[in-house]
This record gives sequence, C-alpha cells and structure tokens, in this order.
Amino acid sequence: MLITIDASDARAIYVQIMDEIKRAVVLGTVKPDDPLPSVRHLASELRVNPNTVQQAYRELERDGLVYVRRGQGTFVAPDGAGGTARERRQLAGMVATKALREAYRNGLTVEELMEAIRDAETRWSEDPNTGGAR
Amino acid sequence: MSLMIPTELSVIEPAVETAGLAKRYGRRVALDGMDMTVPQGAVYVLVGPNGAGKTTTLRILLDLVRADAGRAGVLGLDTVSAGAEVRAHCGYLPERQDAGYGWMKVQQLLDHHARFRSNWDAAYATQLVERLEVRDHTKFGKLSKGEARRVQLVMALAHRPPLLLLDEPTDGLDPVMRDEALAILSDHVADTGATLVISTHLVYEVEGLGDHLGVLKEGVLRAQLDRETLRQRLRRYTLEVAEGWEGVPEVNESIIRRTGSGREVAWTVWGEEGEVVERLKAGGATVRHVDPLTLEEAAVALLAMRENQNRIAREPAPAATQAEVR
Repeated sequence: MLITIDASDARAIYVQIMDEIKRAVVLGTVKPDDPLPSVRHLASELRVNPNTVQQAYRELERDGLVYVRRGQGTFVAPDGAGGTARERRQLAGMVATKALREAYRNGLTVEELMEAIRDAETRWSEDPNTGGAR
Repeated sequence: MSLMIPTELSVIEPAVETAGLAKRYGRRVALDGMDMTVPQGAVYVLVGPNGAGKTTTLRILLDLVRADAGRAGVLGLDTVSAGAEVRAHCGYLPERQDAGYGWMKVQQLLDHHARFRSNWDAAYATQLVERLEVRDHTKFGKLSKGEARRVQLVMALAHRPPLLLLDEPTDGLDPVMRDEALAILSDHVADTGATLVISTHLVYEVEGLGDHLGVLKEGVLRAQLDRETLRQRLRRYTLEVAEGWEGVPEVNESIIRRTGSGREVAWTVWGEEGEVVERLKAGGATVRHVDPLTLEEAAVALLAMRENQNRIAREPAPAATQAEVR
C-alpha cells in the first residue's frame, strides 16, 4: 500500500490519509485483516504529526473500515475490504468533485464535461497507451 | 460581521503561557505585550517577519534574557524563579550556532553537553548522530552552517525533553537533511508526546506537523489559534463578479486578502462559510468554490493583515483536542 499526501490539497491531512486507505481497500491492495502501518511509522514517513495519523485511524475505526487489536496495531476490517458499494460510491464522488471543480474553473458546464469524459473514454479504449490524450 | 480572529487560546495546564511580555533593546521594541498559550502536546508554529520578537520570546521562555514586564510560565514553572529547572526540561535549538565551543571536536562537545543532562540518552544520541550524518571527529568551529545545525539538533533532542523550542530548525540544512530532520521531529512527538514550539519562515515545511499557529508582528500576537479553527473559519472564496464589483459591506470588513482582478477574484475571508457565501450571493457574486487554506497560505494572509484590522479580536478559541497517541 502506498499512501501519499499533498500539502497543497484542500482536504485536511487526516482526511487525505483516510481517503488513501479507502482507495487501497477499494482497489484491493490491502486485504481483510492486513495490518496498517503503525502510527509512528506512517507519521514519520509522511513527515506529519502522529496525532493526525491517529485521528485518521480513529475515524476509519468509527466507520468500521478498520479495527484495532490491543497492543498489535490497526487492521483492515473483514467486511470493510473488497470495495463495498458504499466505498466505491464515495470514491467516485471524490473523483467527480475534483473534475467538476476543474471544469467550473475553466468555465465548462456539467454537460460539456460529461460529453468530454465519454469522448475521452472512447479514445482510451481505442488506444490505452496514450490514455486518450490528444 | 466584524473581524474576530482569536488571539487567545483557552487551555487547561498549557505547556507554555506568557502574559503581557514586554522587552526593549535600547529604543527598539522587541515585545510589546505578548500573550502566548501553547497547549500540552501541541506543535505550535510561530511565524512573524524578521525582528518581530520570535527569538526574544524563546529566549525569555528559557530565562536567557529577562523580560522588562510580564511573566512567562513553562511546564508549570516560572521562568524567572525556576530558570535552571526550565532549561533542564527543554530542548533548545538556538537561531545562531554558539562559536564559544568551536575548538571542541563534535563528539567532545556532545559528551560535554551530556554531562549537564542527567537524562541524556546516549543510545538515542548515537542514533541521531547517524540519522543526521553528523561528522563527530571534526571541530565544531570548522563545520558548515548546516552541519552545525545538525549537531545542535542532537543536543536539543537527546535528553528527550517534554518541550522543544526550535528557532528556525531547518535553516541551512540541505533538502535531504531537512526532510530527515522533519521525520526525526515526527518520531520525537510519537515517542514522547512532547510539545514543540517552532519559529520559522518556512511554514510549508511544517505543514504536516503544525497544529497551532501564532502570528507575531511588532511584538504582539495578531492571531493565535488551532489548525481546525483556522480550517473552519479562514477560507478562500473564488468568485465570479461583475466588472468593478465592490463587494458587500458586511463581508468587506472581514476580508484578509484579495487576489485576482476584473471578473474573477479570490478573497480570503474570516467567518462562518455558510454566512459568508449567503452574503456574497446576496451581493450579486457567483461563488465558484470555497477552499480552506494551507498553514503557509494562512500565515501569509494573517501576516499581511493590516494592524487595525483585527482590533476587536478577543474571541477565545475552543480548547484544543488532546492527542491520544501516547
């Protein structure tokens, strides 16, 4: 599992960490009962406050995505993994919000954006190497 | 809607608390009524222009200089009557390297320093020397600025102090060592739950570590608040407006910073988001999006704020939530 954060991102850092772990769960790069990195280790790796990582883990635990085993660490919950419909919807919502914001910034409407996404997808399926880029 | 950026934190048993600190050097005023509160376990980022009084504040906390007025408490101790005890419990990274020990080899200097610290952790010191790639057989005076900084960091940390006062900690460090120093600070917080006060111009470096911000200007804290309050209340509103639009009076007085021009502008406003958006809309603006600021952006905006702008600021922020890491 690779967790990256972006200091210039509008989301709070603990939210970014939560989103990264959710993404890993949906993608299946972490499986049920897999351990998450320790708070100390992840905080050190990301150069963030350990309390921030702790907060992310706490919220994930509250959401039922992970569980804590005393003295052993934090693990992916059995029913949290595998990309449940709810997590997939959340992930899609996050991507959509990002795209929509960028569209608005460029003066595009939702319709124009949707149409462009379909076009891009067609091009992508024809030639995945260029990722549909013109 | 008046501008009320908190300058007070209400905290039970803060790690650092000062009241009305004042200090002059001849005719120059360094501090002019500084009220600072650092909660236990906080990573408090102190920003301010050169000469704002940041270094003076840290030195008063250690009783290395005496304030002309006001008082300072550190870990429940009075800095003047218990100066030695305060210094024993603190790790201090001074702004300047002290050339007084320039003739000592680095290892000698560390050994010498350790003798004054009953709780010096030799194994931890060795580990820090390795992580920071300190050359221990070189004379301290022969080191480059960055190398000396790394030695000072070892000296500040190796007795695992509950309070760290760091004056421009990454000044002079190369990018790799700066990164390593930040990881070491993160580890230190995880291992000891220590409180950190970091004076810095490079706020982006401590973006991930900082959870409190103090904005010091002309010897007074212009703003002092926790990160969450900052995220909630200080936001950038990206607007589409008519050419020459002048805004709405109730919002205008809470604008900290204006960028953009013509039909597309971004205003940094202090206030409750729903209320601000409603007023902007009622005034004829289209609100494109609203974003919280990074610590760096917030520091820049608050530093640029005019002096008379935050005159009514006496709204205590909610108490900081305590960490559960330890």
